[in-house]
Amino acid sequence: MMLAALHRPAPAAAPQFDREVIARYDTNGPRYTSYPTAPHFHEGFGEAEFRAVAHASNEDPIPAPLSLYVHVPFCPSPCFYCGCTRIITRDRRKPLAYVDRLVREAALVAPLFDHDREVSQLHFGGGTPNVLDAPSLDFLMAELGRCFDLSRAPSREFGIEVDPRLATPADIARFAALGFNRLSLGIQDFDADVQRAVNRVQGVAETRALLEAAQRHGFRSTSVDLIYGLPLQTRERFATTLDAVVSMRPRRIVTYAYAHLPERFPAQRRIDRHDLPDAATRLGLLELAVERLCGAGYRYIGMDHFALPDDDLAIAQANGSLQRNFQGYSTHARSDLIGLGMSSISHVGASFSQNARDLPNYEAAIDAGRLPVCRGLALDADDLIRADVIQQLMCNDEIDVGRVEAVHRIDFASYFREALDRLGGLAADGLVSLSPTRVVVAARGRLLLRNVAMCFDRYLGRGLPPKMHYSKTV
Amino acid sequence: MTSSPEVVQLSEVRASCTQCAWQTLCLPASLDGTNLERLDEVVRKRRPLRRGEVLYREGLRHAALFVVRSGTLKTSTTLADGDTQVLGFHLPGEIVGFDGLVDEPHHSTAEALEDSSVCEVPVARLAEIAAQIPLLQQQVYRIMGREFSREQMHAVMMGRRHAMARLALFLHGLSERRRACNHDPDSLHLSMSRQDVANYLGLVIETVSRLFSRLQSLGVLAVDRRAVRILDHAALAELAQGEEDSRATA
Repeated sequence: MMLAALHRPAPAAAPQFDREVIARYDTNGPRYTSYPTAPHFHEGFGEAEFRAVAHASNEDPIPAPLSLYVHVPFCPSPCFYCGCTRIITRDRRKPLAYVDRLVREAALVAPLFDHDREVSQLHFGGGTPNVLDAPSLDFLMAELGRCFDLSRAPSREFGIEVDPRLATPADIARFAALGFNRLSLGIQDFDADVQRAVNRVQGVAETRALLEAAQRHGFRSTSVDLIYGLPLQTRERFATTLDAVVSMRPRRIVTYAYAHLPERFPAQRRIDRHDLPDAATRLGLLELAVERLCGAGYRYIGMDHFALPDDDLAIAQANGSLQRNFQGYSTHARSDLIGLGMSSISHVGASFSQNARDLPNYEAAIDAGRLPVCRGLALDADDLIRADVIQQLMCNDEIDVGRVEAVHRIDFASYFREALDRLGGLAADGLVSLSPTRVVVAARGRLLLRNVAMCFDRYLGRGLPPKMHYSKTV
Repeated sequence: MTSSPEVVQLSEVRASCTQCAWQTLCLPASLDGTNLERLDEVVRKRRPLRRGEVLYREGLRHAALFVVRSGTLKTSTTLADGDTQVLGFHLPGEIVGFDGLVDEPHHSTAEALEDSSVCEVPVARLAEIAAQIPLLQQQVYRIMGREFSREQMHAVMMGRRHAMARLALFLHGLSERRRACNHDPDSLHLSMSRQDVANYLGLVIETVSRLFSRLQSLGVLAVDRRAVRILDHAALAELAQGEEDSRATA
């Protein structure tokens, strides 16, 4: 009902690092790449429900464009910090068999969506997408192109996550030729001791060469991932990494907080707890990252993301069109997301759904000609209102009260009475400012976006202990 | 899914014609108390229809008229080649079922496009009472005339050479129908699918979406999923005349 937000938020102020406040708010919470979050998906939402929402999504006067996520779960060796859904193998036949199933899944799911709906976003994530050899990736892209209308427009966002240890500049040229225009490289930390402690040894020069190749081959954006809170990390070591990264000038930098949850992620048991930096050091690493990256001209977007001011993300944030999604942030307006591959999440219409989270079940579904949807959630009216509010916080650092009231036909103050009560505490600490027309995240609250968003989460404190499912907020 | 602002309260559905919001559309203005009560006996309030539920089906006999109380109905018929042709969309205050008036099976199917409610007026009983109340008799003819001219609008629409003119006329018509019952004429909620719109206007779905996008980029409409806001009525009316230049259909 609402036209694009008429209000254009001013470029947000750099986040202010208040060590005392941040330490106090360091709790466990969701990252809100979706709302409701994945732990609330249930098995009552399956293939039939997915088919119904897909059908309904075709019926709008202007159906949303499509977005594809392709999960490639294989990695040749385990990085000990990793909490992703992945399979460690060096068996080259496994990815081949998997690509075959991905193609069959695409052929099953594509006919559910009208053929005039262009795919404007495509993302290969992992695991390690570049374990796929050239013929496999060529074949997969050709088949996706047969099933779907893949956009050729320069504005398309076609991204691939790449492990630099398995890639050469020639591979980057190959990805560009296939239509990819966004590259995401894992770095984590360049320090040799830290790298050994997490079982991921990679050189600065090889990483730099890949970023340079991406620039040569017209990649519209490049992004690198760093992690703070890894074993043996110190301020000095991380400073060296940050300096090296900044000198490579990737357009985006993401600084994830390491979440040590060895009871959930077995690989993490190989990290010696005693090697982990203490809470104070962890905060120091975050402070350092904010200081160095903002000092080097990067803008803080929100939720660990930094971007150069002329990057699409920073521009989208400045003009109010930024979106939060499973890959972090995106510049594209609402699209229907189709997840392909084991454990992938789809977001079609007012629903989330997830594919089977292990290979045998995923394969069995495809082999039986079924969609591999194993669980999901149909959002109710309340979910949609809260998802919208949380999205505004994550992307714009503020909630436009009038807009929420107009779009959802609610009285903000009475509908969110409990949330506003909780926010009152954060306001007292100077993290947010509350007025009848706006909820604005203050500079010292920008690093605590999740804590602000958590005030609006109806599911917190109901059944699921956050500690079991969510990582630390800082 | 947000509900439309004019959702009829259940209490209102249960209430009689005396309190009905559509009274002026259905009933002669001067119908007095006793006669109203007699009509009340005839009119049956039916249970609400769920989205997708069929009110009456082609080939079946059911001699009754139905007044849409809330929601939207779609009428359609099956063609000789097995394809479906959408005949019309029916909004609150409008009446369907005239094709069952004669002693023949319905030649159309009416189904709810969203959760809806209707009043049922059995034809035999209506005829009986109308014979005794001349005012009501006249009103029945008046309503039939009104529905008939609405049907004719479709022929006018299909006579437009340009796809854009058809769509503009369609949207303009929906807006006017909302205005007629005191709803915001600028704000449309399209409960029909783009497939239905395409079928109704004799277009393909790709064209429907392309035209909506075009109207949006021209600043005539703002489209957010099923919610359509008319920003420029004059431009829409002009486009509906079919005299638009090639820019609008490009």
